[in-house]
Amino acid sequence: MTTTLDSSSMADKGLKGGSLGLVAVIVIGVASTAPGYSLAASIGLVTGEVGAKAPFVMLFAFVPMACIAASFYYLNKADPDCGTNFTWGVRAFGPKAGWIAGWGCIVADLVIMPNLAGISGQYVVLLFSESAANNIWLTTTIGIAFITTMTWICWKGIELSARSQVLLLGTELAVLGAFAVIAIAKSTGGGITRVVDGTTYQSVSPKLSWISPSGLSTSAITAGLVLAVFIYWGWDTCVSVNEEAKDSSRTPGLAAVFSTVVLLLIYLITAYGSVALLGPQFVSDNSDDAMYALGKVALPTIMVKLLLIAVLTSAAASCQTTILPATRTMLSMGSHGAAPPKLARIDRRRLTPDFSTFLFGGISIVWYVLLVVISHNTSTDAYSASIAAVGLAIAVYYGLSGVSCIVFFRRHLLKSVRHFVMIGVLPAIGGVVLLYVFGKTVWDAAGADYAPGTVFGVGTVLVFGTLLLALGIPLMLVCARKYPAFFRIRPEPADVVKDPTGADTLAEPLGTYRKVAR
Amino acid sequence: MAGIVVGIGGSGSGYEAARTGARVADLMKVPLVLVFGYEASAMGPRGGPLEDQIEAVGDEAIAEIRAELAAARPALTIEVEMVRQRPVDALLDVATARNADAIAVGHGGSGPFRAALLGSVTYEIVHRATLPVLVVPNDADDEA
Repeated sequence: MTTTLDSSSMADKGLKGGSLGLVAVIVIGVASTAPGYSLAASIGLVTGEVGAKAPFVMLFAFVPMACIAASFYYLNKADPDCGTNFTWGVRAFGPKAGWIAGWGCIVADLVIMPNLAGISGQYVVLLFSESAANNIWLTTTIGIAFITTMTWICWKGIELSARSQVLLLGTELAVLGAFAVIAIAKSTGGGITRVVDGTTYQSVSPKLSWISPSGLSTSAITAGLVLAVFIYWGWDTCVSVNEEAKDSSRTPGLAAVFSTVVLLLIYLITAYGSVALLGPQFVSDNSDDAMYALGKVALPTIMVKLLLIAVLTSAAASCQTTILPATRTMLSMGSHGAAPPKLARIDRRRLTPDFSTFLFGGISIVWYVLLVVISHNTSTDAYSASIAAVGLAIAVYYGLSGVSCIVFFRRHLLKSVRHFVMIGVLPAIGGVVLLYVFGKTVWDAAGADYAPGTVFGVGTVLVFGTLLLALGIPLMLVCARKYPAFFRIRPEPADVVKDPTGADTLAEPLGTYRKVAR
Repeated sequence: MAGIVVGIGGSGSGYEAARTGARVADLMKVPLVLVFGYEASAMGPRGGPLEDQIEAVGDEAIAEIRAELAAARPALTIEVEMVRQRPVDALLDVATARNADAIAVGHGGSGPFRAALLGSVTYEIVHRATLPVLVVPNDADDEA
């Protein structure tokens, strides 16, 4: 019975059954998607692009994300590396593409931080005083405190206890559900009318046609999509932790289905309620705090406070899908020799990557303050631009993992119908749609009239999204000079790739990376 | 099958619990089982470099405290289990599987409110364990 240090207790790594029950997997899946915050941040912008058709875009955005989840699932089985897209990109296409995929992930996480912080700052203030919410110094200070706290939490490795998570998520969903139901009820029949700042807003009766794309231009749909993919960001983690679940033959599938149904339903009814209550114009006119503005109309005061709290806790929860993946990617890049090794340092007591976490937190704050200054001093709405920019980054790195999946498993594509669909068709649909959305948005955003605002004469989205992504290229070249060994790694030959549906799917260690000798 | 099961965390944490556990196990003439439970990330893929590094830290922590205890108590049987699971689940599973006499855990001094809200190994163990639990205040020297 004695197990010594070098014994086989660790040899079964990757196969060890975990302890996540059905409810826990659903809670993780839904909570990490942060529905309350995602809606608060994006519903106004999506409505601004597609008007009353917001419910359609909200639903449609799920399709490419779900398809990409298939590639995440199988790539994770082959190489469960915390660097995800980075390591998979290296395996499929070689070090340069992998480096850029990793960079895309980091950029996406970085770009969204100001938005998280901004919404948190604003909603914390709204909780106490509506007038003070316009005080940019107050909200910015709270936003910085928010980033600092989240960074500290990630460094300490604190995770909310399962019961707190269930309670928070339960409140969040209940409040969102109540909001949607009341909003839809109020908008049917005669509806209501409000006059705000001289503009009259009138309820619109919910129509079934809101979930059909009819009458939308391709540009409007892609513009909506690039905003809406953001609301499903994080959902894929639910699929990735499947291996860890109890009774892994049944729980994962059920959990994925349940969490998906819950998410789609809550997004659908909330989108319907938001658009119907005072018409789409009201939502896009109040895109900064659409949920709050609508909540004030639809809900009793106490529920409005709950709504604010729900959005806040949800924003805090989404730090798990923001700081954690970014720092894990940085750690993986550092550890595999693709970036400074310091990024891979871990705190020996808290077992978290401390240097990466602090670096990411620090850059986030700088970036946040920069955006506040830009937004404050120009007509540019940098926050709104950041949601679109994060959509661009997500589209790139998710799109790349879809394509990586097909290229990596190319020898196994034609083995069966299941292989063909799961590692071929689905990743292809997700990858092509997302990369198309990326290309189309960059194309459209190059026009100076592209919402929301411009800097230096070109679309803000283009500046933030593509410039940050493009910054990866010189950085990569610097790393290529400093760490030539990594950049000599060749993509994995197709014949060494194992069948992802087989019993032993684990790939050999990546390139220069070797198991720690023990 | 019996023994005292002790939870060891990153460097330093759980050492005092291990010392107390060792004293009890020595008296009872049962093995001492050092458990290092670890979870690289609750979200997304857990494997790869992060997990390797955590394992390395765990190996080192276990080796350190094991050497200390073995030197102090030559008669004591010390066993080690590295479990790729949440620390709490790892401890409870090992204790149950071994039909252990007691679990010993360190206590770092987080208050009851914080522990209930944010979760704490000690808090959760005390509430979920079906066997005696020995809660040992951490030695200040071991606190990083």
